[in-house]
Amino acid sequence: MHIPDGYLGPQTYAVLDAAIIPIWVIAAKKVKKTLKTKQIPLLALGAAFSFVIMMFNVPVVGGSTGHAVGATLIAIILGPWAACISVSVALVIQALVFGDGGITAIGANCINMAVVIPFVGYYLYRLLAGDVPSATRRMISAGVASYVAIVSAAICAGFEFGIQPAIAHTASGQALYAPYPLGVAVPSMALEHMLFFGWVEAFVTMGVVAALTKSEPALLQMRPAAKPLRWLWGALGALIMLTPIGVLASGTAWGEWDSAQMKARIGYTPHGFDRLGGLWKAIMPDYSTPGMGNAAVGYLIAAVVGVIIVVALAWGVGAVLAKRREAKAVPPESVPSG
Amino acid sequence: MIPAAKHDIAPAIPGRRGGGRSFARKAADSLTHAVMEVLENEEIAARPGLLQGLDPRVKLLSLLLFAVTASLVHTVAVLVGLVTLTLLLAAASRVSAWAFARKVWSSAGLLVLLLALPSATELITPGSVVVPLGPLSLTSAGLWGAATLVARVVAAAGFALLVVWTMRWTDLLRALSAMRLPGVVVATLAMAQKQIITLLRTVEQIHLARESRTLHRGTAAENRFWVTGRIAFVLRKSLKTADDVYDAMLSRGFDGSVRSITRLRMGAKDYAWSCAAAALCAAVILIDRLVAM
Repeated sequence: MHIPDGYLGPQTYAVLDAAIIPIWVIAAKKVKKTLKTKQIPLLALGAAFSFVIMMFNVPVVGGSTGHAVGATLIAIILGPWAACISVSVALVIQALVFGDGGITAIGANCINMAVVIPFVGYYLYRLLAGDVPSATRRMISAGVASYVAIVSAAICAGFEFGIQPAIAHTASGQALYAPYPLGVAVPSMALEHMLFFGWVEAFVTMGVVAALTKSEPALLQMRPAAKPLRWLWGALGALIMLTPIGVLASGTAWGEWDSAQMKARIGYTPHGFDRLGGLWKAIMPDYSTPGMGNAAVGYLIAAVVGVIIVVALAWGVGAVLAKRREAKAVPPESVPSG
Repeated sequence: MIPAAKHDIAPAIPGRRGGGRSFARKAADSLTHAVMEVLENEEIAARPGLLQGLDPRVKLLSLLLFAVTASLVHTVAVLVGLVTLTLLLAAASRVSAWAFARKVWSSAGLLVLLLALPSATELITPGSVVVPLGPLSLTSAGLWGAATLVARVVAAAGFALLVVWTMRWTDLLRALSAMRLPGVVVATLAMAQKQIITLLRTVEQIHLARESRTLHRGTAAENRFWVTGRIAFVLRKSLKTADDVYDAMLSRGFDGSVRSITRLRMGAKDYAWSCAAAALCAAVILIDRLVAM
């Protein structure tokens, strides 16, 4: 997943290099507050571990091996902000000492591996494991979280590659940097990690969490979640504002063709496809807003509507689950004795 | 112990007769290679050469400027000129041009060539067909795009490798410190690099110990469980070492603040090189735009 120099155009790497700096500043402040003077040795050793975990070859099948990134694991142990700095330091050393990953692409690599993986992995782990998890639940949660996190990072890298032909091309349309469009780059990166590297990551994270549960359970103790997920609202808002970038992508995402596009590709429309294709008429087809002339604004409105619906549904389900949990936790004296 | 030079590393034990290397042996070899690479880089960076003689800040910023210039160039001919420049700079810095080219191509060139070639097919880049291969026919526009990508990646990787090969780690830290990077970040980078070497040696020895103690290679599942157990061990060792290092820092009077005693001074050679590099980059971009018109 290490992006070398030359794959990303200056419009992309400059933005990502600039974006990582405030994240590092915030992370440094957060870490200083929690780790105090111990931050230097702990972060340095975290970085060294992050580097070394990538050197462990994990046997897969047929004599082949893969390696894990380990960022979710480090986030579970040190917290996501400390993991962000540790993995960033490891990536900078990889680029400047070993020539692995580009110098201009340091921002992109850090966003993908030092921000997306630790934060997605850590918060998903917290969500799945709950406050007092059993050993099995803790292990499975860590595995699922690390799998989802690395696939998310791969999708981000695929997105960064995929937008290159749209934002940097010659007058004749020839791509100047990474040549594959979103429809090829994102599925390729996602599939590769869903089928191979994601499993290696999940296996390593589960194995290490299982080993630590037995030998050093204190390392896995849940941190108090003060101001839970408040930063997520800011991130969600930023993501919504970025959605008009989707308008840049030309064509349809791989595998999401309508009947006309399907016919153009394979020469005919499968019967079932034709029959079921028009069954449901979407209110906002293709993320557009009916009656809205500007495609980018329409895309933005569709994103806001989608997020409101998803958040409302999640809130509703969460409220029901919380009520059920409260009902279960009735104090013993209020339970009528027989 | 952190090895100071290549001869501090014991030669790897000979492999078993018959069959290929076990996964433990392969891992130990790749870890030895990684440590050797760091030490070799330090040896090259200590040679008297053009880039080695420059102020670390000037060298870092000028090579970064060249890498950015390579990303701004759109024509193959100018990119090939930049690739040639990397070879000339390597030769002027007492680096074997052959070793340099081999390293750049093995780490970046071949991979990007394999990735770029499929993009030259008619499926990805429509255009006039120059190599008819049915549905995988190569188009002129596709081949031009692939050649541009390969030349750009090789040029940029070349400038990045020049940073890696001609800059001692301590010089890089001095440069970062002089460029007003927070002391905490510089101290963390310095400590992390040392600990990486220590942990790499530990992991290498773990693999060699397994290789020398076991008679059969084990199934993939057994080896996977063994690897995760060792990763857990290295994690515990890392956290324990962090505690020990912190205690050592406290006992020496560390109060949380990091001070730098770095004093770098630029000489006439550094000013001349800075001007030449900036002028060359501007000329390269100008020529590229003229050629592209």
